[in-house]
Amino acid sequence: MSEHAPQTKPNRPPRSCGVIAEYSEEHHLLEAATKVREAGYTKTDAFTPYPVHGIDRALGIKPTILPFIVVCGGLLGLTTALTMEYWMNVVDYPYIISGKPFASWPAFIPVAFELTVLFSAITTFLGSIALNRLPKFSNPVFTSPKFDRATDDRFFLFVDSQDKYYNKKSVEELLHATHPQSIEEVKEDSTPSNIPRPVLICILLVMVAGLIPASLVFKMRNGMDPLPRWHVFFDMDFQPKKKPQQISTIFADGRAMRPQVAGTVARGQLEQADPYYLGYDPSQLSMIETQGVRLVSSAQEPAKAVENRVASPRDGQPPVPAETKSVAEQPPKVEPPKAEPETVAPADPAPTPVVTAAPQAPTPVDAKLQPPAVPAVSAAGATQAPTPGVPNLPFVKKIPMEVDEAAMNLGKQKFEIYCAACHGVGGDGDGLVARRADELAQGYWLAPTSMHSDAVRKQAVGQVFYTITKGKGKMASYGAVLTPKERWAIVLYVRALQRSRNANLDDVPEDQRGSLAKGE
Amino acid sequence: MIEIKNDESLRLPESWRTKPIALIVAGIVAIGLSFVLFRFVSSDNTMKLVSHSYLANFIFCLTFGIGAMFFVLVQFLVRSGWSATVRRQAELISTTIPWMAMLFIPILIMLALGSKELYEWNDTKENLHGLTAEKTGYLNWWFFSARSIAYLGIWSFITTWMHKHSRRQDETGDVGLTIKMQAYSGPMVVFFALSVSFAAFDWIMSLDSDWYSTIFGVYLFAASMVAFFALMILLFLALQKSGKLRDQVNMEHFHDMGKIMFGFNMFWAYSAFSQFLLYWYADIPEETNWFRERYDNGWFFLAYALIIIHFIIPFLGFMSRHVRRNRLGLGFWSAWFLVAHWMDMTFLVMPNTHLPISGLMIVAHLVGLVGMSSIFFAFLIMRASDVPLVAVRDPRLHEALSYSNPIL
Repeated sequence: MSEHAPQTKPNRPPRSCGVIAEYSEEHHLLEAATKVREAGYTKTDAFTPYPVHGIDRALGIKPTILPFIVVCGGLLGLTTALTMEYWMNVVDYPYIISGKPFASWPAFIPVAFELTVLFSAITTFLGSIALNRLPKFSNPVFTSPKFDRATDDRFFLFVDSQDKYYNKKSVEELLHATHPQSIEEVKEDSTPSNIPRPVLICILLVMVAGLIPASLVFKMRNGMDPLPRWHVFFDMDFQPKKKPQQISTIFADGRAMRPQVAGTVARGQLEQADPYYLGYDPSQLSMIETQGVRLVSSAQEPAKAVENRVASPRDGQPPVPAETKSVAEQPPKVEPPKAEPETVAPADPAPTPVVTAAPQAPTPVDAKLQPPAVPAVSAAGATQAPTPGVPNLPFVKKIPMEVDEAAMNLGKQKFEIYCAACHGVGGDGDGLVARRADELAQGYWLAPTSMHSDAVRKQAVGQVFYTITKGKGKMASYGAVLTPKERWAIVLYVRALQRSRNANLDDVPEDQRGSLAKGE
Repeated sequence: MIEIKNDESLRLPESWRTKPIALIVAGIVAIGLSFVLFRFVSSDNTMKLVSHSYLANFIFCLTFGIGAMFFVLVQFLVRSGWSATVRRQAELISTTIPWMAMLFIPILIMLALGSKELYEWNDTKENLHGLTAEKTGYLNWWFFSARSIAYLGIWSFITTWMHKHSRRQDETGDVGLTIKMQAYSGPMVVFFALSVSFAAFDWIMSLDSDWYSTIFGVYLFAASMVAFFALMILLFLALQKSGKLRDQVNMEHFHDMGKIMFGFNMFWAYSAFSQFLLYWYADIPEETNWFRERYDNGWFFLAYALIIIHFIIPFLGFMSRHVRRNRLGLGFWSAWFLVAHWMDMTFLVMPNTHLPISGLMIVAHLVGLVGMSSIFFAFLIMRASDVPLVAVRDPRLHEALSYSNPIL
């Protein structure tokens, strides 16, 4: 009610909205409220700086219906959650999780509980706002300057002129008897209720400005722009760093990637030269490579020889004839040498040329060309029938660690944890996963290999190790899960499993033979 | 400061005070009778049935004291005002624990004599197998007995200490005593939490010694709180019916106790479900075994009945404030919760007999309950006989007497 406020309706005096009484003590307010209620007034309200115990009873405020609204909200949440979960898990996207039924009610309950609570909370919040008729920007009682103390140290009781029995005189008389500090008539707020023009313009401007980012995004997503992208954070889009294979001006050789410093060994590099970690002997590999080059030059068929050495998978190549296999049957005796750090070349020792899979059959040319004393290029791999997807590597023939009962037990334990699920406890390829997959009969399931198949039985231990380490086909790689020791122990156990199917009485220790012989 | 006149209206009715001897005699007779009845259930497994039933009923009666002890501690911990008039009742319920502890002695004697009827782990490591064999360092009769005595000792100390100080305040009106109890209630709650959790592990969970659940102690605690509030509400209703405590305990207090009982029942369901969900989802044989035992031999019905009777029906029926502010409704649901709690304790213990549930077994178990609870009530009456049932000089009495719930 500042003097600058324009008088919009000078002719009409401000309407009376009711009477307000001010109290300095809580109990005076409570007594007054009780008296006013007993006199029959219902459109009353109290304003206090803090929640006053018993004021709702004194004013005769009726219990709220909010709890019932909240119950409905909660039930709505419960039904929403259960319906949603049922529809998602059973109707829209049925998917077996942990072998449970699609409609797994125990799994639905946590979500149902959370949504019940969430819906109840939201209903409580919105319900109390609605029941209190909020938001309310102004109240006629604000016109009295004394009312400011309602948030500080004074208690106010307000009787609305809308009340059925309202009579200004009698209300004032009633309130006078209740020890008020003051009694005032509350007048209608005569300040104009329309928003001042500058404020309105500002609000509109802000609203329009708020549309700018959205419309920019809309335009960018739906249009073409001949200009290059606009980089908001230039140094994040173009970071001052070098990526692999890029040129650097800092170093004399112009390479951004730095070669290994002479005489140093990188982490993990030793393992890349050690058959214990690889399952094959990389030193054998490099020897074969140099021999390969020599052979090529003497054969004067470089293209073909190289193709044979670095074999690429090719469909339709005939399987290995038994005769040629026997020619190459004598593999080099691979001693599992522990890597000597001195012999490791500082450059990358990874055998890059021989990584591709090879359905490689030693051709007659190869067989002829091989001098008997020199291990053949394909000799190491040729002991097994080369299968697609298996690299032709000089696999280790002997387990490069101490073979004892502890290793066997470790192998059994790890095999039953990691392998048996698919390959079966006996290694027959009939694990629970395989059986389940067979039941489902989905058609695309590739059965796990039996450890007792000829292909696996003929594999060198190094190849079994290599398969465990790198995985094969659908089988995942276990190199990160199992330590090399555990992997070799599994290989040992697989060998034991295989032997157990092909054992005779001589394999059984003397002292335990008796019962078996009797059993036969 | 308000002081309540310490007169006859704060005492137990005369008709109650004369009962303890008769109750104890009746209790011993009833327990004996239940033993005889169990012989007819299965003559080969009488000891097994008797010991399991005895343990289940013992835990049922002990949980009132456990819940009451926590209630007393928490009132001091949070400096609660509303509960000043009802706290003495909880103190009296909690001080039954030192006497209830005597009823645990038969179980300890059984173990010392090497009986495996109740606890299968009471054997040498060589004869046991599986996880139980690995647990013999913890689960053996002397360490188990030592722990049991420690739990009962801790609880006896906490309850009698609290009650002693509260009684001293009746005489002196010293506010310092309240401040002292507030100071000590914090550490005591820590001891309470650990001892209750481990007691649940030792006494009930180790019946199936292969199985383990870390939330099991919480489960028993939640169940104890519901049982305690149900008993306290019923006691107040009975006392007021015989003309006692009419001015000190009013509907506002009943309403609050009902609210807390309802809340703790929600918590019971929450912890029971939390325990179940993890085992259900993981589906590991040695973990699901406990539920398997409660699925076989007809115990299945009890398991499902528990969900409905302990949680769903009271959740819907006891939710409204109008029910909680009604003496009849309050009494009905409190009695309901006591029945549900007894079912719960039966569910925890009895399926470990691996015997099929049968009508006669339930009757025998029920007779055992009558016996055990008669003894419990005898202890409670003996404790409460010469004591005012309200802490007459508690410094927060004025808060409790003028307390009112807001109108919702």
